[in-house]
Amino acid sequence: MPTSFWINFWRIALLVMLLATWQWGSNVNKWLVSGLDPAWQRALTIQVLEPFFISKPTLIWSRFLQLGCLTNPSGDWLITNGGFVECLTKKPNNLWYATLATLRNTFWGFLVGVGSGVAVGLILGRSAFLAAIFEPFIVAFNSLPRIALVPLIVLIFGLGDASKVMTAWVIVFFVVFFSTFEGARSVDHDHINVARLLGANDWQVTWTVIVPSTLGWVFAVLTPALSFSLIGVIIGEFIGAQVGLGKIIIEAEATLETADMMVALFVLMIVGVVLALLIRRIQRYLLRWQSQFGGGMN
Amino acid sequence: MEQVRDTKESRIVLKDLTKTYGGRNTEVPAVDHVSLEVQSGEFVALIGPSGCGKSTILNMIAGLMPRSGGEILIDGNPVVTGRLTPKVGYVFQRDTVYPWRTVTRNIGLGLELNGVAKRERQVEIARFIERAGLKGFEHAFPITLSGGMRQRVSLMRTLIMRPEILLMDEPFGALDTHTKLEMHSLLLEIWNEEQQTVVFVTHDLGEALTLSDKIIVLSARPGRLKQVFNVPFARPRDAVSLRETPEFSELFSQIWHSLGEEFRRTSAEG
Repeated sequence: MPTSFWINFWRIALLVMLLATWQWGSNVNKWLVSGLDPAWQRALTIQVLEPFFISKPTLIWSRFLQLGCLTNPSGDWLITNGGFVECLTKKPNNLWYATLATLRNTFWGFLVGVGSGVAVGLILGRSAFLAAIFEPFIVAFNSLPRIALVPLIVLIFGLGDASKVMTAWVIVFFVVFFSTFEGARSVDHDHINVARLLGANDWQVTWTVIVPSTLGWVFAVLTPALSFSLIGVIIGEFIGAQVGLGKIIIEAEATLETADMMVALFVLMIVGVVLALLIRRIQRYLLRWQSQFGGGMN
Repeated sequence: MEQVRDTKESRIVLKDLTKTYGGRNTEVPAVDHVSLEVQSGEFVALIGPSGCGKSTILNMIAGLMPRSGGEILIDGNPVVTGRLTPKVGYVFQRDTVYPWRTVTRNIGLGLELNGVAKRERQVEIARFIERAGLKGFEHAFPITLSGGMRQRVSLMRTLIMRPEILLMDEPFGALDTHTKLEMHSLLLEIWNEEQQTVVFVTHDLGEALTLSDKIIVLSARPGRLKQVFNVPFARPRDAVSLRETPEFSELFSQIWHSLGEEFRRTSAEG
């Protein structure tokens, strides 16, 4: 048997065991301790297996269908009887709208964060004068845990999309800025000289040498930038939002609906995986000239 | 001097060229009153122990580095630091190929910067790729090339601009012996066709003898002009068989002696 078969075998086995424990663990645990005296029962009951805390796969699945407007609470399919659209409008924070809102804000936070981080990083990286002026401000601002700013951001920008994008931005900006700054400062001096000797003016040196050389550093942090953007948006939604996956989670906490929370977490996990795969692909293409990304001919 | 000027035209003139490093109190002289002339179409090698300031001289001629004293004239015009002349081409010792550009885009950079139309550019690039034996690697990124191929890319990137003056700073210093000989053949072939004025910095005497018309030996730090040797071998030369002739060995040992004194001085100091 090839190794890959056994790897997949154990992966599936592990998943099945996990789901089984999740679904029936609490029942099995209760059944095992049922004959013992009350003190032992209490000691040997595993609290965390309680569906109150972790819900159950079957329950999560049914809540997933309901939050996604696919079925109604009694389990009838809404797609076939035309209730889907009506459900979407009735529940403004349904799974579709929530996912879409979170994704949209993540995208904008990422874009604005990367754009501004690159711009400021390039300018300060190439101007020792400006870098010296701004250094204490950047150090001070960066030392502040950005999460602490979120309530203020929500206060200023409200419960809508703007506060989520802003939250993502303050986190993503610094990640990209520091990498760009470092990259812009470490441009190979002979690379600049070569361009000069071939007749490049300052503007051309910037565009043909400094920017591409620095972008290598920027592309390398795109993956963390994207996950930081998602983190920023979720936190923004925790503090105050009308729609979003983070909003579903924080609401489920308040109403003790673990199943709903699990649905949102599950969707977030899928979103995270898909975004990571996507950004990896983009990164692999953009950095195809670097060794660690294969460097083959295109 | 005047007599020489009658027959051939001086393209590069150095007058009392001096360079010192460091502050006011701790001045370290690197180049000490070097005067020399390079005629049009001449291939001159600058040779000396490491730290003798040969690369510094080249950088000052190219206008990449300010000088502390003296004068440099190219075609009668003084060199201004930072203002680079398009007729001067420069090849670095270090690998300076742009890793994010393919072979084609590296070689074509100069034409691109000077606004040559794409169609025209492609024709020129194809010619230089062919000449450098890089066919089939047009769209390869430098990471996939060997050191020798990368250095051929940098050489072609400079030569495609048709520089009349070529300044080369130990361009083959990082290559193995075999690759080096291949590069010598390539360079000799190109030089035979285009007859650029070349100043070639090296610490490899065999290389200097193979390529140049004139070898200038510099003293150990601070670099002073020590001795000038003419290399009378007939052209076109064959980079491999030339090394086996008795004339080559004879001149080699003669210059080696002069050079050896300087190498010993360097190691005695260091």
